[in-house]
Amino acid sequence: MQSTDTEFLIPTSVGEALQAIAKEDAIFLGGGTSTALLYKTRLIEPSRVVWLGNVNELKGIRISASEVRIGAMTSVAEIAADSEIARLLPGLSSAAGVIGNARVRAMATLGGALAHADPRQDIPPALIAVDAKASIRSLSSTREVSLAEFYAGFLETVLDPDELVTEVVIPITSNRRSAYLRYTPTSEGDYPTVGVGSSLTFADDGKTVSAAKIILCGVGAVPIIAAQAAQALIGTTADESVLRNAAALVRGAIDPQDDERGTADYKTEMSEVFTYRCLRLCLGN
Amino acid sequence: MSERRIDAVAKATGASKYTADVVLEGMAYAAVKRSDFPSALIENIDTSIAEKMEGVLGVFTAKDLPVKTNLYGRRVFDVPILADGRVRRVGDPIAAVVGTSREIAEAAAELIEIDYKELPAVTTAREAIKSGAPLVHERPWEYDGAVVTPDSGSNIQSIDTHGSLEASEAALRNAVHIVDEIYTTPGDHQGYIEPQSCVVDYQNDGTLTVWATNKSPYRLRDVLATVFSLDPKKIEVMPTILGGDFGGKGAPGDAPLCTALSMLMKRPIKMTLRYGEDLLSTDGRHGSEIRVRLGIDGEGKLLGGIMEALLDGGAYAGFKPVPTVNLHGIVDAAIAYRIPEFFVESKIVYTNNQPKGHMRAPGSPQAAFAFESAIDELGRRSGMGPVKIREVNLLSDGDVNPYGDTWIEHRGKEVLALATSQPNNLQVPKGWLYGEGVAVYARSMAAVPKTSLRLRRGQGGKIIAEVPIPENGAGGQTVVREMLRSGLGLSADQVEVKQVSTSLLPTDAGVGGSRVSLGVTVAVANAIKLWKQLPADQDLVEVTTTEGSDGPSGAYSVQLARVAVDPATGQLKVLEIISAVDVAEIVNEKAHQMQIDGGTVMGFGFAVMEDLLEDDGRVWALSMGDFKIPNVADIPTLTTVLLRGGRGVGPNNIKAVGELTNCPTAAAIANAVADATGARLRKLPIKAEAIYWAMKEGNAR
Amino acid sequence: MKITFNLNGKGMELDVDPMSLALDVIRGLSLTGTKEGCGVGVCGACTIMVNGSPVSSCICLVGTLSDKDVWTIEGLAEKMPELIDSFVEKEGMQCGICTPGQIVAAAAIDSVGASSPEDIKKYMAGNLCRCTGYQTILSAVEEYVAIN
Repeated sequence: MQSTDTEFLIPTSVGEALQAIAKEDAIFLGGGTSTALLYKTRLIEPSRVVWLGNVNELKGIRISASEVRIGAMTSVAEIAADSEIARLLPGLSSAAGVIGNARVRAMATLGGALAHADPRQDIPPALIAVDAKASIRSLSSTREVSLAEFYAGFLETVLDPDELVTEVVIPITSNRRSAYLRYTPTSEGDYPTVGVGSSLTFADDGKTVSAAKIILCGVGAVPIIAAQAAQALIGTTADESVLRNAAALVRGAIDPQDDERGTADYKTEMSEVFTYRCLRLCLGN
Repeated sequence: MSERRIDAVAKATGASKYTADVVLEGMAYAAVKRSDFPSALIENIDTSIAEKMEGVLGVFTAKDLPVKTNLYGRRVFDVPILADGRVRRVGDPIAAVVGTSREIAEAAAELIEIDYKELPAVTTAREAIKSGAPLVHERPWEYDGAVVTPDSGSNIQSIDTHGSLEASEAALRNAVHIVDEIYTTPGDHQGYIEPQSCVVDYQNDGTLTVWATNKSPYRLRDVLATVFSLDPKKIEVMPTILGGDFGGKGAPGDAPLCTALSMLMKRPIKMTLRYGEDLLSTDGRHGSEIRVRLGIDGEGKLLGGIMEALLDGGAYAGFKPVPTVNLHGIVDAAIAYRIPEFFVESKIVYTNNQPKGHMRAPGSPQAAFAFESAIDELGRRSGMGPVKIREVNLLSDGDVNPYGDTWIEHRGKEVLALATSQPNNLQVPKGWLYGEGVAVYARSMAAVPKTSLRLRRGQGGKIIAEVPIPENGAGGQTVVREMLRSGLGLSADQVEVKQVSTSLLPTDAGVGGSRVSLGVTVAVANAIKLWKQLPADQDLVEVTTTEGSDGPSGAYSVQLARVAVDPATGQLKVLEIISAVDVAEIVNEKAHQMQIDGGTVMGFGFAVMEDLLEDDGRVWALSMGDFKIPNVADIPTLTTVLLRGGRGVGPNNIKAVGELTNCPTAAAIANAVADATGARLRKLPIKAEAIYWAMKEGNAR
Repeated sequence: MKITFNLNGKGMELDVDPMSLALDVIRGLSLTGTKEGCGVGVCGACTIMVNGSPVSSCICLVGTLSDKDVWTIEGLAEKMPELIDSFVEKEGMQCGICTPGQIVAAAAIDSVGASSPEDIKKYMAGNLCRCTGYQTILSAVEEYVAIN
């Protein structure tokens, strides 16, 4: 490549990684799919790259009775292939299975996907819908941030330059169902015109919705949390007219732009259609 | 049964060498700084920072080029090797950097500073022909090869017409039903996966050796000879494997620039485009706006037709190779039908957009989309229906087509019947609308074999055939092997076919125009005849053929598209495309089938997704993330039905197939969408959003 | 920087800029069966196999291959002759520029366990071919999956 003065460090622990990032213009590298593209087109010129591929404590999926923990360096393909994830978090499983192509899924990591913060990404809506939190560490602090509050703007997160997402923690709630649905009308593997992640949690009667989440990607600078639309589901039994009404309410939450994947008007219409369909998917149909 | 293709093992094991794989001793790498504006004067070029970069060996602009003329082209010499004082499109090369690596050359090119004075640009064909429009070229008639005159009108590259406008208008006045609609198609790219590349080695003794992603090596040699005042005998264009061309890679590409750089640097120069540069700077398919008027009498017979096509030729005419500097697929649009009066005008204009050239059946996909949509609309409006109107008007044996030709046979009606009578085993998604659409395409063909060939005896009774054609994947060299094998009664491993460099055979017209199998068959048949008569003490036969022997003839392909549309979203799923194809003898069944399938998928891509997204003088689809071509999960079920037993051309009685199935697909799909939804889409690509609004805006049936 | 990894079954130690692209480093070793197509991870012509998974070498920094098991078409052609045979027999190619990538992707298909025709299509959707219309490529992959 054009430059040979970028340092390339390969730490084997989170501690080492956090030490290594303490340099101006240093960046973490996960699977590298986005970073390599930015670097080869000379859009970024990091002074140091801290590759996390050999930090084993950042890898793997751990499931207990109350939560699912996924290490930041777990690949998207591993998430898509995990049968327990498919059972407990069908929305996340399906989002992980549709991203890009098989190579992107094999290379891309969960942490990298979150940190890149492209608002067309499929995984964030699926995760926010199930109340996922990011565990974040720096040399001086440890914090947990709800993914609902993780995105600060287009390609921007709340992470400080010295902070690292180490894992994502997803609480397991009984009676919660989740789904993810994307709309790519032109070509398989394209970025979505719109993607919708949703979850419905039911009260003990098994019918009344006690909590609901609707999150959309591709229709704003960040993943859009359609709180009002979700609110309209709570306390109902999620019948047809309620779903239709909730889906219509996402129109007020989104901020789509015209691009080659659709005009803003079309994305607005499709946001409603696919929210309705995603909610139906949550209900098992 | 034919044996497997000759290049299969080398390609499957990664052993095949393409142009980008060529590495020469002492080779340096070139990259260019390209224009950022569609129309501007270059006021200053500052190369000082680039020159100082470590690894940069030289930076050159137009004034440095050691050329007789800074212009090149396939027919019209109007393309500058490096822009000289003026840029006419985004992507015009302005300065070239030679470096010790490709990355260094590319990075240095970015450091070249250009001061521009922007000029008014014309960025649509419609604007360009208005009187008083800014002129892309001040005096285009002065270029070598130009077909325009000072009276041609503003920004005209070429106008090709056939028939009488007045007579056709008069005929339409008697029509009981007419259609008068405008159809548009976008600029497209050939979508080959191998970006263009070349390696040029100029030696002090005046010899020039060229490796290039170029399908017309003899033409490339001649252009380089002209531009650099070289003896063609001292130019050697080397054999190469092409990573697909689909009508592209016929122009000299960056070979003239690299020749100049090799002369200046006195070392071999390699330049390989990044894919985004290829999308930006090469010559794809013309975008078009085509008005079609057709009229029928009370019995459904076509009385007259008028087709007026306006095509965006972009900044240069130099990428079109034929003498008319036009696209014969446009003029030939009505070739399958009996129309007493038919007028067609194909007007190609200069704009400050990407120049356009040839892409698989030049002009035909655009023309077939327009014509076959229009006739479908007329069939539906008149109550005849889309199949009946075609049955009534397709040519029969003995008929004269609108261009005055009488083909040796017409099997369009039989092919249509075959396409429309196939079983339907499809599952339509619940709640989706289903529709079917048909479209016809016919293409004239004759064995016009400007080519040459040499047979020699190798070891162990082997025959070696030396051919001038590069293998572009269609299987031309395998076809040669198959013919020799059967003609001489040999086994496949007793025949070796190889491309040789340009000095070793007299001539060839290059790959293209569906001419390889047709043209080469004549040469091979002649060679076989001579070989059989060869005295025992000789072991060499060389043939050069320049004249066709048969025709006029042609072949038909009819496609039936079966589609489903989601009424809530407009999403289109093309479930199946049935391709019914008119064939005579088939030299290689598998290669023939792949040409049918690959063509259909290319037609499908043109119909529903491909678009360079040209707007405001720029190509916006600058990566394969945005310039979409079909992947395996996108494509419909492909069904082929062959109507065998036709009368072909040439000694092997064959019909060309490479450009038959990519042409009718878009109309078949548009017609099926209309059938399913009542919404008529007259603009490609047909995307879900367009269908959605067309259905919603009251157009539904 | 010294990078060590296994390439086509053999240990390698290379002194390279770790920020180089795997594609360029591999081709620089005269392993030119790995092709540059789109350059943005979409077309699949540059597919290599890393720890059993398909990877776009055009967007893979070579430093991330440290300690990995890397295979290119040249190595797989020797290691998996039955896969090559499937592509040769079915003629799963025309121009051939995408072919090594198609075959390397097929070699890594076990990483996702695709076996039904629909799964195979979804998995192979990342490898573009402009020539064939995909039918012979699909047949080749299906045959290979069936005999494995």
